[in-house]
Amino acid sequence: MKTTFKEEGKDLVMYFEGRLDTSAAAQTEREMQVLYNCDGHDVILDCTQLEYISSSGLRLFLSLLKAAKPKGSHVYITGMNDNLRQVFAMTGFTNLFEFK
Amino acid sequence: MEEKNNCIAKSITLSNNVADVPILAGFVEEVCEEAGINMATMMQLNLAIEEAVVNVMDYAYPAGTEGDVLVDAKVDNGQLHIIITDKGTPFDPTAKADVDTTLSAEERNIGGLGIHLIRTIMDDVIYERVDDRNILTLIKKIQ
Repeated sequence: MKTTFKEEGKDLVMYFEGRLDTSAAAQTEREMQVLYNCDGHDVILDCTQLEYISSSGLRLFLSLLKAAKPKGSHVYITGMNDNLRQVFAMTGFTNLFEFK
Repeated sequence: MEEKNNCIAKSITLSNNVADVPILAGFVEEVCEEAGINMATMMQLNLAIEEAVVNVMDYAYPAGTEGDVLVDAKVDNGQLHIIITDKGTPFDPTAKADVDTTLSAEERNIGGLGIHLIRTIMDDVIYERVDDRNILTLIKKIQ
Protein backbone atom coordinates (compact mmCIF):
# COMPACT_ATOMS: atom_id res chain seq x y z
CA MET A 1 0.00 0.00 0.00
CA LYS A 2 1.48 3.30 -1.08
CA THR A 3 0.17 6.79 -0.48
CA THR A 4 1.27 10.00 -2.14
CA PHE A 5 0.31 13.39 -0.76
CA LYS A 6 0.01 16.53 -2.89
CA GLU A 7 -1.39 19.98 -2.44
CA GLU A 8 -3.30 20.85 -5.59
CA GLY A 9 -4.63 24.39 -5.49
CA LYS A 10 -6.60 24.59 -2.28
CA ASP A 11 -7.13 20.86 -2.09
CA LEU A 12 -5.24 18.31 -0.04
CA VAL A 13 -5.00 15.23 -2.24
CA MET A 14 -3.92 11.76 -1.22
CA TYR A 15 -3.37 9.08 -3.85
CA PHE A 16 -3.82 5.50 -2.69
CA GLU A 17 -2.10 2.69 -4.56
CA GLY A 18 -2.44 -1.02 -3.92
CA ARG A 19 -4.38 -2.85 -1.21
CA LEU A 20 -5.55 -1.11 1.93
CA ASP A 21 -5.95 -4.26 4.03
CA THR A 22 -5.56 -4.66 7.79
CA SER A 23 -1.79 -5.14 7.54
CA ALA A 24 -1.42 -1.79 5.79
CA ALA A 25 -3.79 0.15 8.01
CA ALA A 26 -1.45 1.30 10.78
CA GLN A 27 1.09 2.77 8.38
CA THR A 28 -1.62 4.33 6.21
CA GLU A 29 -3.16 5.91 9.29
CA ARG A 30 0.16 7.63 10.01
CA GLU A 31 0.42 8.82 6.43
CA MET A 32 -3.10 10.22 6.47
CA GLN A 33 -2.42 12.44 9.49
CA VAL A 34 -1.38 15.28 7.17
CA LEU A 35 -4.96 15.39 5.84
CA TYR A 36 -6.31 16.27 9.26
CA ASN A 37 -4.83 19.79 8.90
CA CYS A 38 -7.61 20.62 6.49
CA ASP A 39 -8.91 23.91 7.86
CA GLY A 40 -9.78 26.01 4.83
CA HIS A 41 -9.15 23.12 2.45
CA ASP A 42 -11.08 20.29 0.90
CA VAL A 43 -9.67 16.78 0.89
CA ILE A 44 -9.57 14.47 -2.09
CA LEU A 45 -8.96 10.74 -1.64
CA ASP A 46 -7.89 9.50 -5.05
CA CYS A 47 -8.67 5.79 -5.22
CA THR A 48 -7.90 5.24 -8.91
CA GLN A 49 -5.04 2.85 -8.07
CA LEU A 50 -6.67 1.41 -4.97
CA GLU A 51 -7.45 -2.24 -5.65
CA TYR A 52 -8.98 -3.32 -2.38
CA ILE A 53 -10.14 -1.94 0.95
CA SER A 54 -11.20 -3.74 4.11
CA SER A 55 -12.90 -2.44 7.24
CA SER A 56 -9.72 -1.05 8.77
CA GLY A 57 -9.29 1.13 5.69
CA LEU A 58 -12.93 2.17 5.76
CA ARG A 59 -12.44 3.17 9.37
CA LEU A 60 -9.58 5.45 8.40
CA PHE A 61 -11.73 7.16 5.79
CA LEU A 62 -14.58 7.58 8.27
CA SER A 63 -12.29 8.97 10.97
CA LEU A 64 -11.02 11.57 8.55
CA LEU A 65 -14.55 12.50 7.54
CA LYS A 66 -15.61 12.90 11.17
CA ALA A 67 -12.69 15.29 11.72
CA ALA A 68 -13.11 17.21 8.47
CA LYS A 69 -16.83 17.90 8.58
CA PRO A 70 -16.85 20.16 11.67
CA LYS A 71 -14.11 22.22 9.98
CA GLY A 72 -16.32 22.75 6.96
CA SER A 73 -14.04 20.72 4.71
CA HIS A 74 -15.46 18.40 2.09
CA VAL A 75 -13.97 14.94 1.64
CA TYR A 76 -14.26 13.79 -1.97
CA ILE A 77 -13.49 10.33 -3.24
CA THR A 78 -12.46 9.82 -6.84
CA GLY A 79 -11.62 6.92 -9.12
CA MET A 80 -13.29 4.00 -7.33
CA ASN A 81 -13.41 0.72 -9.21
CA ASP A 82 -16.44 -1.61 -9.13
CA ASN A 83 -15.07 -3.69 -6.30
CA LEU A 84 -14.64 -0.64 -4.09
CA ARG A 85 -18.02 0.71 -5.11
CA GLN A 86 -19.61 -2.52 -3.91
CA VAL A 87 -17.88 -2.38 -0.56
CA PHE A 88 -18.99 1.21 -0.08
CA ALA A 89 -22.55 0.23 -0.99
CA MET A 90 -22.55 -2.73 1.41
CA THR A 91 -21.46 -0.57 4.32
CA GLY A 92 -23.59 2.48 3.56
CA PHE A 93 -20.45 4.51 2.94
CA THR A 94 -21.84 5.64 -0.39
CA ASN A 95 -24.14 7.95 1.51
CA LEU A 96 -21.42 9.34 3.74
CA PHE A 97 -18.92 10.61 1.20
CA GLU A 98 -19.01 12.84 -1.85
CA PHE A 99 -17.75 11.43 -5.12
CA LYS A 100 -16.10 13.19 -8.02
CA MET B 1 -24.52 -44.19 0.43
CA GLU B 2 -23.49 -42.15 -2.61
CA GLU B 3 -20.60 -39.81 -1.89
CA LYS B 4 -20.49 -36.38 -3.47
CA ASN B 5 -17.19 -35.23 -4.85
CA ASN B 6 -15.39 -32.77 -2.63
CA CYS B 7 -13.23 -30.75 -4.96
CA ILE B 8 -10.29 -28.95 -3.42
CA ALA B 9 -9.39 -29.02 0.20
CA LYS B 10 -6.69 -26.60 1.29
CA SER B 11 -5.41 -25.38 4.62
CA ILE B 12 -3.19 -22.68 5.93
CA THR B 13 -2.04 -21.81 9.44
CA LEU B 14 -1.40 -18.18 10.31
CA SER B 15 -0.17 -16.51 13.46
CA ASN B 16 -2.47 -14.08 15.26
CA ASN B 17 -0.65 -11.15 13.72
CA VAL B 18 -2.29 -8.89 11.12
CA ALA B 19 1.02 -8.80 9.27
CA ASP B 20 -0.02 -12.26 8.01
CA VAL B 21 -3.04 -10.85 6.18
CA PRO B 22 -1.27 -10.74 2.78
CA ILE B 23 -0.48 -14.46 3.18
CA LEU B 24 -4.17 -15.06 3.73
CA ALA B 25 -4.93 -13.09 0.56
CA GLY B 26 -2.62 -15.35 -1.43
CA PHE B 27 -4.33 -18.42 0.01
CA VAL B 28 -7.80 -17.12 -0.87
CA GLU B 29 -6.65 -16.36 -4.40
CA GLU B 30 -5.35 -19.92 -4.82
CA VAL B 31 -8.56 -21.40 -3.47
CA CYS B 32 -10.70 -19.28 -5.78
CA GLU B 33 -8.61 -20.06 -8.84
CA GLU B 34 -8.88 -23.78 -8.20
CA ALA B 35 -12.60 -23.51 -7.60
CA GLY B 36 -13.10 -21.46 -10.77
CA ILE B 37 -14.50 -18.47 -8.91
CA ASN B 38 -14.64 -15.20 -10.84
CA MET B 39 -12.59 -12.17 -9.87
CA ALA B 40 -15.45 -10.06 -8.49
CA THR B 41 -16.62 -12.86 -6.20
CA MET B 42 -13.04 -13.56 -5.20
CA MET B 43 -12.56 -9.96 -4.07
CA GLN B 44 -15.69 -10.16 -1.93
CA LEU B 45 -14.66 -13.51 -0.44
CA ASN B 46 -11.20 -12.11 0.27
CA LEU B 47 -12.83 -9.27 2.17
CA ALA B 48 -15.19 -11.45 4.22
CA ILE B 49 -12.43 -13.90 5.07
CA GLU B 50 -9.99 -11.17 6.00
CA GLU B 51 -12.57 -9.60 8.30
CA ALA B 52 -13.30 -12.92 10.00
CA VAL B 53 -9.66 -13.89 10.40
CA VAL B 54 -8.63 -10.46 11.69
CA ASN B 55 -11.40 -10.63 14.32
CA VAL B 56 -9.84 -13.87 15.55
CA MET B 57 -6.36 -12.38 15.46
CA ASP B 58 -7.52 -9.36 17.48
CA TYR B 59 -9.82 -10.97 20.02
CA ALA B 60 -9.49 -14.72 20.41
CA TYR B 61 -6.20 -14.90 22.27
CA PRO B 62 -5.35 -12.82 25.37
CA ALA B 63 -3.45 -9.62 24.54
CA GLY B 64 0.23 -10.27 24.04
CA THR B 65 -0.25 -14.00 23.55
CA GLU B 66 0.77 -15.75 20.38
CA GLY B 67 -1.69 -18.18 18.88
CA ASP B 68 -2.44 -19.95 15.64
CA VAL B 69 -5.35 -19.36 13.32
CA LEU B 70 -6.17 -22.28 11.06
CA VAL B 71 -8.06 -21.63 7.82
CA ASP B 72 -9.50 -24.59 5.92
CA ALA B 73 -11.19 -24.28 2.55
CA LYS B 74 -13.30 -26.83 0.77
CA VAL B 75 -15.92 -26.99 -1.92
CA ASP B 76 -18.90 -29.18 -1.14
CA ASN B 77 -22.09 -29.45 -3.19
CA GLY B 78 -21.49 -26.21 -5.04
CA GLN B 79 -20.73 -24.33 -1.84
CA LEU B 80 -17.44 -22.92 -0.68
CA HIS B 81 -16.81 -23.56 3.01
CA ILE B 82 -14.18 -21.55 4.85
CA ILE B 83 -13.55 -22.89 8.35
CA ILE B 84 -11.58 -20.69 10.72
CA THR B 85 -10.36 -22.41 13.88
CA ASP B 86 -8.49 -21.09 16.88
CA LYS B 87 -7.73 -22.32 20.40
CA GLY B 88 -8.38 -19.01 22.10
CA THR B 89 -10.94 -17.97 24.67
CA PRO B 90 -14.61 -18.43 23.72
CA PHE B 91 -15.35 -15.73 21.18
CA ASP B 92 -18.48 -15.63 19.05
CA PRO B 93 -18.25 -12.87 16.43
CA THR B 94 -21.82 -13.58 15.29
CA ALA B 95 -23.16 -12.42 18.63
CA LYS B 96 -22.58 -8.79 17.75
CA ALA B 97 -25.56 -6.64 16.85
CA ASP B 98 -25.72 -5.44 13.27
CA VAL B 99 -24.60 -1.94 12.35
CA ASP B 100 -26.98 0.72 11.13
CA THR B 101 -25.68 1.72 7.72
CA THR B 102 -28.20 4.53 7.40
CA LEU B 103 -26.69 6.73 10.10
CA SER B 104 -24.90 9.96 9.24
CA ALA B 105 -21.13 10.31 9.47
CA GLU B 106 -21.36 11.91 12.88
CA GLU B 107 -23.55 9.11 14.22
CA ARG B 108 -21.70 6.16 12.68
CA ASN B 109 -19.60 4.05 14.98
CA ILE B 110 -16.09 3.27 13.92
CA GLY B 111 -16.52 -0.39 14.83
CA GLY B 112 -18.77 -3.24 13.72
CA LEU B 113 -18.07 -3.04 10.02
CA GLY B 114 -16.24 -6.34 9.87
CA ILE B 115 -19.04 -8.64 10.93
CA HIS B 116 -21.48 -6.62 8.84
CA LEU B 117 -19.40 -7.24 5.73
CA ILE B 118 -19.09 -10.95 6.55
CA ARG B 119 -22.85 -11.32 6.93
CA THR B 120 -23.54 -9.31 3.77
CA ILE B 121 -21.10 -11.24 1.59
CA MET B 122 -21.50 -14.81 2.84
CA ASP B 123 -24.66 -16.88 2.56
CA ASP B 124 -24.21 -18.43 5.97
CA VAL B 125 -22.07 -17.78 9.03
CA ILE B 126 -21.95 -20.44 11.76
CA TYR B 127 -20.10 -20.30 15.04
CA GLU B 128 -19.41 -23.32 17.23
CA ARG B 129 -17.34 -23.89 20.33
CA VAL B 130 -15.98 -27.44 20.26
CA ASP B 131 -13.30 -28.92 22.57
CA ASP B 132 -11.64 -25.63 23.58
CA ARG B 133 -11.73 -24.36 19.99
CA ASN B 134 -13.62 -21.56 18.34
CA ILE B 135 -14.83 -22.76 14.93
CA LEU B 136 -16.29 -20.21 12.55
CA THR B 137 -17.67 -21.50 9.25
CA LEU B 138 -18.36 -19.15 6.36
CA ILE B 139 -20.38 -20.55 3.48
CA LYS B 140 -20.95 -19.15 0.02
CA LYS B 141 -22.77 -20.79 -2.87
CA ILE B 142 -20.51 -20.70 -5.89
CA GLN B 143 -22.15 -23.01 -8.44
